[in-house]
Amino acid sequence: MEEGSRREEPQKEEEIWSWGAGTDGQLGTGKLKDELLPQLLHLPSLAASAAGSISMLACGGAHVVALTSGGRVLTWGRGTSGQLGHGEMVNCLYPKAVNSLEDHVITHVSAGWSHSGFVSDGGCLFTCGDGSFGQLGHGDYSAYSTPAKVSYFVNNHVEQMACGMRHSLVLLKGSLGSQVYGFGSGKRGQLGISVEKIKSANLPRVTAGFEDIQITTITANGDHSASLSVDGKLYTWGRGFSGSPDINVPSCTLPSLSFSQVALGWNHALLLTDDGEVFMLGGNRHGVLSNTEKLMNTAPNHLPGTESSSFTSELFILSTSLFLCPLTSFIFLVLITVDGEVMTWGWGEHGQLGLGSTSDETDPCLVRNEKEVVAISRVYCGSGFTYAVKAVD
Amino acid sequence: MSYDDVEIEDMEWNEELQSFTYPCPCGDLFQITKEDLRLGEEIARCPSCSLYITVIYNPEDFNEDKSKGKKKGNAIQQAQQPVSVA
Repeated sequence: MEEGSRREEPQKEEEIWSWGAGTDGQLGTGKLKDELLPQLLHLPSLAASAAGSISMLACGGAHVVALTSGGRVLTWGRGTSGQLGHGEMVNCLYPKAVNSLEDHVITHVSAGWSHSGFVSDGGCLFTCGDGSFGQLGHGDYSAYSTPAKVSYFVNNHVEQMACGMRHSLVLLKGSLGSQVYGFGSGKRGQLGISVEKIKSANLPRVTAGFEDIQITTITANGDHSASLSVDGKLYTWGRGFSGSPDINVPSCTLPSLSFSQVALGWNHALLLTDDGEVFMLGGNRHGVLSNTEKLMNTAPNHLPGTESSSFTSELFILSTSLFLCPLTSFIFLVLITVDGEVMTWGWGEHGQLGLGSTSDETDPCLVRNEKEVVAISRVYCGSGFTYAVKAVD
Repeated sequence: MSYDDVEIEDMEWNEELQSFTYPCPCGDLFQITKEDLRLGEEIARCPSCSLYITVIYNPEDFNEDKSKGKKKGNAIQQAQQPVSVA
């Protein structure tokens, strides 16, 4: 793949693979087609920008936001709502730098169905894309094709942003403990700002209930919202799982368990406990995610297929290798084992399982690239497509 | 089986597609036209995959044009009455 820049520090030769839905250019292959098997990407613009390796990817409805170790942002895929931030409303087949952010060192990126968010090291938040539900937080319902600063947070230090289908969450850093804000569509309670449902908010509003709780991560997808506290407590709000009622303010979910990771889909959540166990909320809508007999209401269940040794307690020591990333479509799931192997299962119609076919799978299957198994360190999912990043020393 | 139930007010009108749309998990859009709704159709399909949603709406909200169409149709029918020739 690319050679990397001529910098002093040891260069990691990175590999980026993508597969699944690709007709908007979201796979970065330069071809407008779905891919049933993982494709190793050749991204000359990434190397040319001498921006270093990929720190993180954010995958949305059909676009990708890439953050480099140098604090630069590149975007590609669907751009018809301005979500790529290039100042126009067209798709882009290849990673292209977001020039308007070049004076900032970006530390965090996020992508929703049709909007994007960028956080700088100085704590500023920029958003662009569709704004018809107020999800950009600029006080209007307009679309923005270039990242615009969310002026509401000018006196705060933004740490993270999470994007759902039509809403956004923001996590602030502060000496008084972290605070969470929500804006965009609130119809399913996903903003968590009031026991009375708010239809929408185009300016950030404080999410209720976290005054005495230190939140470390926030996540959003579909009409769901979730966060983890510093002591591993999971809070969820928004659309209910498995047909249960919507939750309008954050609720401590499964309070007897401590979680290290949570990943949301449109209809389910995957949870990793401190003990290395994997649970799922919801996800029984189509019956393809697992043996339906094992899924009952909102009771958490050990994920079928995860009872084997590769997911038991030895895992938590290397829990940073386990990356939960249920697809936003939340109809298919991706897990990485401790050995860096990728397992997928669920709905396979777009080849998003990366198994070489369009069949559904009810149990986790190992994703193989031709002959060898590539040791993947991180996985990111968008709507019907997946990226896997392998960092090589 | 329907992937989800979506209220018509939560769908967005797409001028280019001339349809009401809603995000599909595959990345494309579930779509249903006004004509479909007038005809009492409640399934919005995705052109890229096999998923579909059930649209929740009040059929009366889409009935007006149908009644106008009926009158127009009748007028045309009358004008085209076959005339028998002995």
